[in-house]
Amino acid sequence: MRIDLPARKIVAAALFSTATVFGASAQPPANPAAQSVADVFHEAESKYMFGFIDGADIGNEGEKAIEYEATGSFQKRGGGYSAIEHELEFEHVLTQNFAYELSAHGIQHSISGVEGLDDRNSAQFSGASAKLRYLIIGRGPGSPIGLTISAEPEWSRIDGTDGTQVQAYASEFRVVADTELITNRLYAALNLIYAPEVAKPADTGMWERSSSVGLGAGLTYRITPTFAMGVAAEYDRAYDGLTLQTFDGHAFFAGPTMQINLSRKMLLAAAFMAQVAGHAVDDPRPLDLTNFEKYRANLKFEVEF
Amino acid sequence: MTQQLITRLGLSIATLALASFAALPPARAEDAVTVNISIKDHRFAPAELHAPAGKPIVIIVKNLDSAPAEFESNMLRVEKVVTGGGTITLRIRPLDPGRYRFFDDFHQETQGFLVVK
Repeated sequence: MRIDLPARKIVAAALFSTATVFGASAQPPANPAAQSVADVFHEAESKYMFGFIDGADIGNEGEKAIEYEATGSFQKRGGGYSAIEHELEFEHVLTQNFAYELSAHGIQHSISGVEGLDDRNSAQFSGASAKLRYLIIGRGPGSPIGLTISAEPEWSRIDGTDGTQVQAYASEFRVVADTELITNRLYAALNLIYAPEVAKPADTGMWERSSSVGLGAGLTYRITPTFAMGVAAEYDRAYDGLTLQTFDGHAFFAGPTMQINLSRKMLLAAAFMAQVAGHAVDDPRPLDLTNFEKYRANLKFEVEF
Repeated sequence: MTQQLITRLGLSIATLALASFAALPPARAEDAVTVNISIKDHRFAPAELHAPAGKPIVIIVKNLDSAPAEFESNMLRVEKVVTGGGTITLRIRPLDPGRYRFFDDFHQETQGFLVVK
């Protein structure tokens, strides 16, 4: 598989970060008693274990956190393409069943020679979003399965794909289920995703409606109590119309995930996915690079306070 | 065809989710069972609490140490700091029978269990 330069940089940076941080966390603790406690696999929060796929845990009532999240899309048809969205988020677990996040977004585009897109190099404030998560069934003694529903309404002033000005309102809805295949060690998750959007590009002034649906699955193994790695896959379908009226294309992504608990209150999670199959309507070529990117990467850094 | 299948699948899952939510038994605050625990020398006393299943639980935590502690449990889904010499009250939803671990997040070797029967 040939990986283009921006994607290669992301992968290299992720591997370097992993090696550095994991190497640091592998240092023997000064206190032998702390070593024995730290070596025990207790319950772990599954929310970010699966990369692009959500886990059902929402956190503990009273938790507050600040999070930085970067999500990159790399490579379209021809030329060079990268779009990296940066989010600064405030998270609060309000009750034992409900949590919310408030986020401000910025986006960087670097586009040159891509089929159907104008060249662009820009970095702009792009919008704001909220994420509401409701835990219906908590994983635990009463149920082997956790079940959460979430909604993520978002306002955007910049088109995420081409970087042009737009007035867009979207929301992503998820049904999230997860379980522990081996208690406190091996975790699996399943997501059902529906994301409608209405957008008015500044150049046309016409409202456009679109939607997508997706099915994602993740499998993660805790190698040490503070370090987990896994794989995830997601199948997405894109449509014109808010309720899946006209099929535009589909894509299947797969890739690795990892999570490191840097300390009691700090967490780093990363994921990478490549489009391994897909097809856009009216395009005989393999992969759907019209509605989706070829590579996607995600990095989360959370500090709880 | 695919659109109908996806729509039906989505509706089925949404219905299941709502049904699960609706099936939850109503919890009344006056039915709550109160249990007390203290922290002394970075140890919970008692180390094991007991409570009945299906009833809201109120846990009162007294910190007898001078250092602050953070009562936390991923299974109970709560976390709260209790200052040195302070007391906190935690309200827990009705629980299924089982053994629920809790710990002091500031001194993670300090742990205890809530046994629900």
